[in-house]
Amino acid sequence: MRKMTSLILVLSMLLAVVACSNANELNNTASPKGDNAEDGLQLEPGAELLIWASKEDLPFMNAVSKQYTEKHGVPITIQEVGAGDTLNKLTTDGPAQIGADVVIFTHDHLGKAVAAGLVLPNDVWQEDTKSANKDNIIRAVSYGNIMYGYPLSIEAPIMFYNKQLVPDPPVTFEEVVEFAKGYNDPDKAKFALMWEIENFYFNYMFIATNGGYVFGNNGVNFNDIGLNNEGAAEGVAYYGSLKDELLPVRTGDVTYDVKKGQFLSGQLAMNIDGPWLVGELKKKGDMYGAVPIPSINGKPSVSSSGVKSWYVNSYTSYPNAAKSFAHFASSKDAQLLNFQLTGAAPSNSEVMLDEGVQKDEFVSAIAKQFENSYPMPSIQEMSAVWIPMAAAMSDVWNNGADVKQALDQAVGQIKDSISGGSSGGGL
Amino acid sequence: MKRYSKTAVILSLLCMGLGQLYNRQFMKGIVFLAIHMVGLYYSILYVPGAVRGLLTLGDHAARMELVGKIYQHLAGDHSIYLMIEGLIILALAVIYLGIYLLNIKDAHDAGRIRESGKSIHTFRQDMYALLDRKFAYLLLALPAAGILIFTVMPIIFMILLAFTNYSAPDHIPPAKLVDWTGFQSFIDLLQLKTWSKTFYGVLIWTIIWAVLSTITTYFSGILIALLIQRKGIRFKTMWRTILILPYAIPQIISLLVMRNLFNGQFGPINQYLSYFGLGKLPWLSDPVWAKATVIAVNMWIGMPLTMVLMMGVLSTIPKEFYEAAEVDGATGLQRFRFITLPMILFSTAPILIIQFAGNFNNFNVIYLMTNGNPVQPDYQYAGSTDLLVTWLYKLTLESSKFSTASAIGIIIFLIIASLSIGSYRRSRSFREEDMFQ
Repeated sequence: MRKMTSLILVLSMLLAVVACSNANELNNTASPKGDNAEDGLQLEPGAELLIWASKEDLPFMNAVSKQYTEKHGVPITIQEVGAGDTLNKLTTDGPAQIGADVVIFTHDHLGKAVAAGLVLPNDVWQEDTKSANKDNIIRAVSYGNIMYGYPLSIEAPIMFYNKQLVPDPPVTFEEVVEFAKGYNDPDKAKFALMWEIENFYFNYMFIATNGGYVFGNNGVNFNDIGLNNEGAAEGVAYYGSLKDELLPVRTGDVTYDVKKGQFLSGQLAMNIDGPWLVGELKKKGDMYGAVPIPSINGKPSVSSSGVKSWYVNSYTSYPNAAKSFAHFASSKDAQLLNFQLTGAAPSNSEVMLDEGVQKDEFVSAIAKQFENSYPMPSIQEMSAVWIPMAAAMSDVWNNGADVKQALDQAVGQIKDSISGGSSGGGL
Repeated sequence: MKRYSKTAVILSLLCMGLGQLYNRQFMKGIVFLAIHMVGLYYSILYVPGAVRGLLTLGDHAARMELVGKIYQHLAGDHSIYLMIEGLIILALAVIYLGIYLLNIKDAHDAGRIRESGKSIHTFRQDMYALLDRKFAYLLLALPAAGILIFTVMPIIFMILLAFTNYSAPDHIPPAKLVDWTGFQSFIDLLQLKTWSKTFYGVLIWTIIWAVLSTITTYFSGILIALLIQRKGIRFKTMWRTILILPYAIPQIISLLVMRNLFNGQFGPINQYLSYFGLGKLPWLSDPVWAKATVIAVNMWIGMPLTMVLMMGVLSTIPKEFYEAAEVDGATGLQRFRFITLPMILFSTAPILIIQFAGNFNNFNVIYLMTNGNPVQPDYQYAGSTDLLVTWLYKLTLESSKFSTASAIGIIIFLIIASLSIGSYRRSRSFREEDMFQ
C-alpha cells in the first residue's frame, strides 16, 4: 500500500540507484576529447551524461546522443523514465546527485521545477534559442523573465478524423453538429465527435476562443482569473448546448481509453486529442487524417498547447557538457531528426517550413493549431485550476447547471485554494 | 568486603571499559574502550550538527547566481536531507547509549561476582556464552537493526513531516526551506474551511465504506458457503471453483475490466439494459450511484475469501449440535442463529477486524475503479469516492502537499489502531474464553 511519503521518497531513490545499473548503455568506449563545443564553452574533461527519456522518444534519443558522442566524445547513457514521472523523479533524485544531467518535459511543469531550484537557466545559448523560436514558445520555456528551456517540439490538441467516415473534415463546429445529425446513433454507440469532455485541458478551447483566460498577463498573474468573464460564460454555455446536439453522454463516461477504443474501432468519426495519438494512427496506414480544431461561433478555436523542451539539472556534475548537449539536441538538425523518427512537431521556425514537415498532415495540423493557442500557464497555482473547472463544466454538461453560477463557484474555489490551501502552513 | 560493583559502575560510567579493566577483564575492557573512543569521536563530530539541523531544518536555501553570462548553482541546506541525516545520527546515538548502558550493567554484574568471591568470566567464556546461551540475541540483532533502519526510521520521519510545512508550492526544497510548524497541518485540516470540508466529507465516506464493504463481503461469504455446504447440493467442487475465480484474477485486471463494464454509455451492462428497453444507469458518473457500484464490485472481489474461510469454519462445528437441535425441533433459521452464527463469529472475529482495517485503507478498489471520481467541486484534490488513503496518495504524488498528507496518515493510523485494538480486546477469541462452558 502506498501510504507513507517517506517510504516513497526513500524507495524512489533506491529504485533510481538500482535502475541506473541496468540502464541502456551507449558508446561507453568513447572518452571526452575535452574540446570546445560550438560557442567556446569548455566541456569538462571526463564528462559523461545521463539522460532521461520516455519510451516514445527513445528512437530520437538514441540517434541524437550517438551523433553527439561522435562529435564531442562525451559518452551518454539513456535511461527510460515515463514523461509524467520525470519531474517527480528529478525532485528527489536531482538534489541527491543521482538524477539525469539533461531531462525533457513539457513547459507546464517548469514552474514547479524552478520553484524547487531543479533546473539551470539557458544562458550560454539564449540568443541562439531566442532567434530560432517564436515568442510564445520562448515565453513558455521562461519563468520570471529567465529562460530555462531548450525547445524541442510543440504540442497542441487537434481533430483527428476517420477518412472513411468523414471524407470532408468540417471546419466549423456548426458543420460538426450538422454531420452528427446524420451520423449519431446512441444505441449503437456511434458518435460524430468526442473529446475528453471532463478534462479542462480540452475544454479550455470553449473558454479561450470567446475571450476567457486562466491567469492574466500571459498566464503569470494568478490574482487575475478570467475563467468566469463574459466570454468564458458564453463559451461554456455553447459547450453545454453541445450535449443535446452532438454528444448525449455523461462526462464521466468519456474516458481516454473508451474514446480511443471507439475511434480505432471505427465507431467514432472524429476525435479531438493530443499529438501522442499520432504514432498509433500512423501504424494504421492511411485511415486517419487530422485538421485543426473546428471554429467555435465563427471564431478560430483557441486551444491550450505545450512546448516540450530540454532542461539541464541544477545538480549536474558537468553543467557545460549538459548545456552543450541540450543545445545540440534542440538544434535544427536534431529537430528534423526528431520529426523523422518520432513524428514530433518541431518548435524551430525554420524546420517548420521544411518540405517534409509541411507535407505531414498531422504535424501541419499541430503547427496550425499551435498558432491559435495559449501555452498552459506554468505557474504552480495552475494545479488549483483543474479540478474545480472540471467539476463546474461537468455540472453544466450533465445537469444543465447555470453557467455563470457554476463558473463563479469554481473561480471562488480556485481563489480559496490559491490563498488558503497553497501551503500546509495556513494563511 | 570490598564494594567492587560500586567502584566498577562509577568507573564504567566515567568511560566505557574502565570498569571492566578494574574487574580485570582486560580484553573486554579494551573492546569497550575502543567503542567509547570511536563513539565519542563521531558524537563530537556529528551530533551537534545533526541536532542543529533537526531543530532549524537549515538556514539558507540553494540558489542561482549570475556570474558574468553564466548562472551558477550554489548549493544550500536541503531541509529534508537534514531531517533524515539528523534522524540517522540520532538513531546511531541511541544505539551507542544502549551499548553504554550494557557496559555499566556488565561492570556491575562482574563486580557482584567478585564480591561473592567467585572467579569472573574470562573473555573466552563470554564469547562462548554469546555463541551458545545468548545465540538467539545475536541472531535477532540483525533483523532488529533492519527494522530500526527500514521501518522505524521512515515512520518517525513521516510523523515528523506532519509537523512541518513541507508542501508545494512554497516549501519544496532545495530552493526553499521547510520549517517546523507544530500542529498547524492538523489544525488546518480540522478547521480551515478549504481543507476541513474535504476532510470530514472523505472521512465520513471512508467510514461508511469500511463498514459496508466489510459487512457485505463477510455475510455474502457466509451465505454462499452455507448454500454450497447444504446437504443435497451436487457438484460442490465445481461451485467452489467458479466462485473462487474472482479472487484468483489479479485485482488490477478485474477492476479495470469492471470500470469499462460499468461505463454509462459504452459499457456492456448499460447496453444490455437499453437492449431490454430499460434506461441507462449512471453507474460511475453519479456520486451516489458510484458509491453503490464500488461497494458492489468490492463485494464481488472480497466474497470468495470469506467463503473459503467459512467453509473451513463450518466443517469444524460438531454435527452433534445440529442433531440435538433437530431433536429439539429447531427450525433452520434458529439453527443458523443460535449455532452456526455464534460459532463462526467466535472463530473469525479477529479476521473481521483485519478486514475492516484493510477496507479502511482499500486503495486498489477505489483507485482502479473510479480514481476517486466523479469530481466533487467542494473538495480539495479529492473526488466523491475518494477514501482517506487515495486522497493521501493524490496529495502526495499529484499535488506535493506532503505535510497535509502525513497528517492524514497519522489520523488514519490513530483511527485504525484504536478501533482494531479496542474491538480485538473485546472479542472472545482474544480473551481465550471457551464458547461453551
